[in-house]
Amino acid sequence: MTFEADARAALSDVQLRGALRQAATLFAEKRRAAMATAPDWEGARDRARAIKDETLLHLDRYLAQFTANAERAGARTHWARDAAEACEIIGRIADQRGARTIVKSKSMATEEIDLNTALARRGIEPIETDLGEYIIQLAGETPSHIVAPAIHKTRGQIAALFAEKLGIAPSDDAAALTAAARQALRRRFAEADLGISGVNFAVAETGTILILENEGNARLTTSLPHTHIALMGIEKVIPRFADLEVFLQLLPRSGTGQVLTAYQSLLTGVKRHPDDEGPDELHIVLLDNGRSRMLRAPVTRQSLACIRCGACLNVCPVYRQIGGHAYGSVYPGPIGAILTPQLIGIERAAHLPYASSLCGACRDVCPVKIDIPAVLLHLRAEAIAQRAGTSRFFERRAFRAYAAVMARPRLYEWVMRVARALHFTPPLRAWTKWRDLRPLAPRSFREEWRAGLGRETDPWSPL
Amino acid sequence: MTSPTFADAARDQILGSIRAHLAASASPAPVPPVPRPLSPPDGASNLLDRFTSQLEAVGAQWTLVRGEVEAARALRRILADAGAKRVAGSDATLVARLLPERLTDLSRDELFSCDAGVTTAQWGIAETGTLVLESARERSRLASLVPPVHVALLSTGAIVASLGDALARLDVASHAITLITGPSRTSDIELTLVVGVHGPQTVHVLLLEEGE
Repeated sequence: MTFEADARAALSDVQLRGALRQAATLFAEKRRAAMATAPDWEGARDRARAIKDETLLHLDRYLAQFTANAERAGARTHWARDAAEACEIIGRIADQRGARTIVKSKSMATEEIDLNTALARRGIEPIETDLGEYIIQLAGETPSHIVAPAIHKTRGQIAALFAEKLGIAPSDDAAALTAAARQALRRRFAEADLGISGVNFAVAETGTILILENEGNARLTTSLPHTHIALMGIEKVIPRFADLEVFLQLLPRSGTGQVLTAYQSLLTGVKRHPDDEGPDELHIVLLDNGRSRMLRAPVTRQSLACIRCGACLNVCPVYRQIGGHAYGSVYPGPIGAILTPQLIGIERAAHLPYASSLCGACRDVCPVKIDIPAVLLHLRAEAIAQRAGTSRFFERRAFRAYAAVMARPRLYEWVMRVARALHFTPPLRAWTKWRDLRPLAPRSFREEWRAGLGRETDPWSPL
Repeated sequence: MTSPTFADAARDQILGSIRAHLAASASPAPVPPVPRPLSPPDGASNLLDRFTSQLEAVGAQWTLVRGEVEAARALRRILADAGAKRVAGSDATLVARLLPERLTDLSRDELFSCDAGVTTAQWGIAETGTLVLESARERSRLASLVPPVHVALLSTGAIVASLGDALARLDVASHAITLITGPSRTSDIELTLVVGVHGPQTVHVLLLEEGE
């Protein structure tokens, strides 16, 4: 099983685990400090979730309203049923515009559809311009964190990479490395003829798309080239412009622990006059790719409330140990464990709902209160329902027997007495592989109690 | 508007799938009424104090001046201190009045060789130390972004308390509204904060107090 192998490899990678621990701790600290600056954190969470629930229950209506308003403002909208269709739409626009240099700002949706590979097949190489994404593109890797894609790489590794690919003198100074990337990417920005971005929020009422960032690369990507293509999952829509307030309170605080990221670009259609600044064309690609299916039940529907902050990764005891790559999924961590099986099918990601201890830390930090453990359990049930064969037959018998014993105190006592007498260890290899099973005590608590434990002085009783 | 095409088929199928799956879900959960969020405590008199202390918190600089004569002098000093020779300006008349020699209508390459950009900002947000730039009011999108130094002129009367207050005032006739909170930044290399990645390394807010 590849998840087991990848997780094991990650666990023995001391450098990776050190980086993950440091990152998760820092993010969690900054998040707590930023949360304290919000006027009403819990109120904001409730409000955000209510807005998302309201939107999802009428998603068809809000999407129609959003696309109509975006088109009225001069944008073109495109609908993509799946990843291949989205890549085809974007590739065709790039071909038609004769795009040679494409700059791209960070977008998990473009990772989801594997856009860069599709564009490379057309002979176009889009340049990732977010520093973290640029680093992993140079290294030929994939993001390991939703917010900090290159979290798994050390300064030394990045220095060696830049020395090789950019021909700069090796330096392990983060500022010098950043300056080198800025220099290299400025040339590409100056010549770029097409920009591709993601979308954080799409406002139905106005047809506006909002993009958050810190570096300025998304601003350059969406304002310098003649054509801007924005890819958004269909769940990104929110009803009203005023709703942005609550999401802008929650997302940066939860994601990077900032009160607000350095930049928000609110883009409504294209420029109104030829001598205005900005692209001549804005194409908005709306991606389904399995999302509409999640609407079928409240438990799965809540997955679509996610605003991609990454807070659940930072608090997850599993993510903190193995990092993003071991999940083998574009979206890592707890949110990936519920999103990916629903996007690509449980049969292709049956391991993911089990990549969790169900501790609930993800649910506690989620700014839109997604009950991730509940979705994980639902997906586990689906995974089991899909599995056929003898292992399932025996498993079912074993659990039925267990339930029968646990429901009958006398039978339970008798079974335990026999088990103790025989020094019996249950055949739970899958369980004991990663955990220790404590040996049974020579006498049970009930036996101790009957033998006099109950008559000893109760230290808690008042004198 | 257009004849039915392949693209419309995708749209219809996605919307159809959304409706079918929503209809299949047992009972639509009742949507709780959406309460208005609490506004942060507001003291109009100390908006300026809160705005400037937030500017400092996010790593921006600020100078408070009274009247345009003083503003022009302060602007020149800020640009000289930054060693800025080629200065890109927005098309705002205030920028033209304070700095007649600013460069406008630059090509992309010319813009990339500028040392500083001067724009106005339409709003300031006290809660977060944020500048709001609206494209319908001024061509400030690139001058505020490409050069390594951005000087923003803001009237102290345009400072609002919260993000919500600013959103309520924004002019959505703008095809681009940009919110700027401090200089460009990244922590992508070992989570070390580096200021000035793709956008300006320095953001200086020149606050103009109303009246002479």
